[in-house]
Amino acid sequence: MFGEQQRFVLLLIAPAALLLLLFQVVPIVIGANASFRDWALYNPKKTWIGFDHYVAVITDPAFLYVVLPNTFLFMVLSVAGALVAGLALALLLNRPFRGQKLVQTILLVPLMVAPVIAAIMIRWIFNDQFGIVNVVLEAIGLEGQPWLVQRWSAFGIILLTDIWLWTPWFTLLLLAGLQSLPKEPFEAAAIDGTTTWRVFRYLTLPMLRPVIVVCVVIRAIDAFRTFDIVWTLTGGGPGRSTELFSLYAYVHAFLNLDLGRGSAAAIIGGLVILVIGVVLYRLVDRIAKA
Amino acid sequence: MAMVNRPQFLPWLPPIGRKTLFALAVAFICFAFAFPVLWLILTSLRPESGVYYVHRGTEFTLASFAEVLSDERIVAAFLNSALISTLATVFSLLVTVSSGYMLSRFTGPASRLWFGTIYVFRCVPYISWVLPLYFVTQSWGLYDTYTGLLLPHIAVHICFFSWLMKGFFDGIDPSMEYAAMIDGCTRWGAFIRVAVPSALPAISALAVLCWLFTWNEFLFALILTGNRVPVITVVMAQFVTEMGLRWNLMAATAVMALLPAFLIALFGQKYVIRGLRI
Repeated sequence: MFGEQQRFVLLLIAPAALLLLLFQVVPIVIGANASFRDWALYNPKKTWIGFDHYVAVITDPAFLYVVLPNTFLFMVLSVAGALVAGLALALLLNRPFRGQKLVQTILLVPLMVAPVIAAIMIRWIFNDQFGIVNVVLEAIGLEGQPWLVQRWSAFGIILLTDIWLWTPWFTLLLLAGLQSLPKEPFEAAAIDGTTTWRVFRYLTLPMLRPVIVVCVVIRAIDAFRTFDIVWTLTGGGPGRSTELFSLYAYVHAFLNLDLGRGSAAAIIGGLVILVIGVVLYRLVDRIAKA
Repeated sequence: MAMVNRPQFLPWLPPIGRKTLFALAVAFICFAFAFPVLWLILTSLRPESGVYYVHRGTEFTLASFAEVLSDERIVAAFLNSALISTLATVFSLLVTVSSGYMLSRFTGPASRLWFGTIYVFRCVPYISWVLPLYFVTQSWGLYDTYTGLLLPHIAVHICFFSWLMKGFFDGIDPSMEYAAMIDGCTRWGAFIRVAVPSALPAISALAVLCWLFTWNEFLFALILTGNRVPVITVVMAQFVTEMGLRWNLMAATAVMALLPAFLIALFGQKYVIRGLRI
């Protein structure tokens, strides 16, 4: 039926394609189908109701004014924070100094920590009664805060946890990028006595552009679907004020037991991120070029 | 060009001041990065009552670890997590190495289509396919089973790892494979005996990453398992709500969950750093 080469090519991707089909494509199609039906977990009538769930989601004030802004704010701040911190650390590790290997190992620690564990650690550190942060604050005469039950402090802590978790990724990939840059331009700049800032601004940054673009796009798409740390740190609370998109879909499907509405939210989120993925790639590329 | 000085950090400071400042800054950064983990370890070593004033007191004990290890559900969760991570790593590599090789070595409509597909599916948020996967696994009888958790864990890495593997193979000169085929190797022989061994550093890097990702994954297990297949991340998240006041036990469990990941990462660090540099 096929030539020898085509058979080889198809066989190489067949297992991957089959798994992708069964465990991603099929569920997405079934989820799309469920999103058009009255499908409560306690009473799965499965009657066709058209776009009702979609209308319910996009007219839900909680989704429009809390979940969506939270998700975008989180995505932008988390990626920006981890990029700046990761780039700074990569530049630090790129110059030789004593103990550099040890420092590198310590800085990569968050890579190994599960988001759930990170969230548990941070929850304990910011515990309102016994957490070390409040103990220290009270020791120096300031008032301890109930960090995780106030909207913006809780949001800030979630953000901080995420940046802590993902900075090493940027460091690792940007360091690899830095070390593969050609040496000659930097040597020429050093002979001309160029300042550190100008070397960074006009040599390092432009030459690192491709690596930065790839890191930012990958990370932004991942930040959009953040679930673990929010679920473990605040569960979306206080109230629903720190809910992100993944939590919104999960809560509707498995806590409110409305699979139809949860699926509709999941599909809407998927479409949003697809659009963002394309736009982001173009935008970041253009900004980086300027 | 060894004579050329690198541009200096804060050039107006005298060298001694610069060095001290640099060392202090580095020490502070390391402390900030390691602090949460150190604090967790310290908490896990405190006795039941000492946990509320971790910062003072000098009694330390391993009792929390003993208590955690006597809990059958936690031990089962550790074993399940280890088993699933290991199996997922093996199968995921089998599947993605060949798919990445195809993307790198062949051009044409099939290759472009496959690349577009994995690029799009890489963007799809987990919740958008794991949520409906909940009723797919139920109707296939895979809900709350090893297989039902393992297969999605293999599927999730296909897109990202195929993409990384393509990059790795792109960096390897294919002429060795052509030479092997001229000498009578089949295409499969050239792939398995020539291409795969030369990509071994990259494959090791992916193995380390895959094991860590699976060990640390939470959402899949939360949605796709009930009581029969407890895994460590889910058990710990339940801890937070069920035993919210017993922080010494929680910390001990978390430290034990960190340990295998640390060992794997420490052992594999050089592979990851080398592998990602290609």
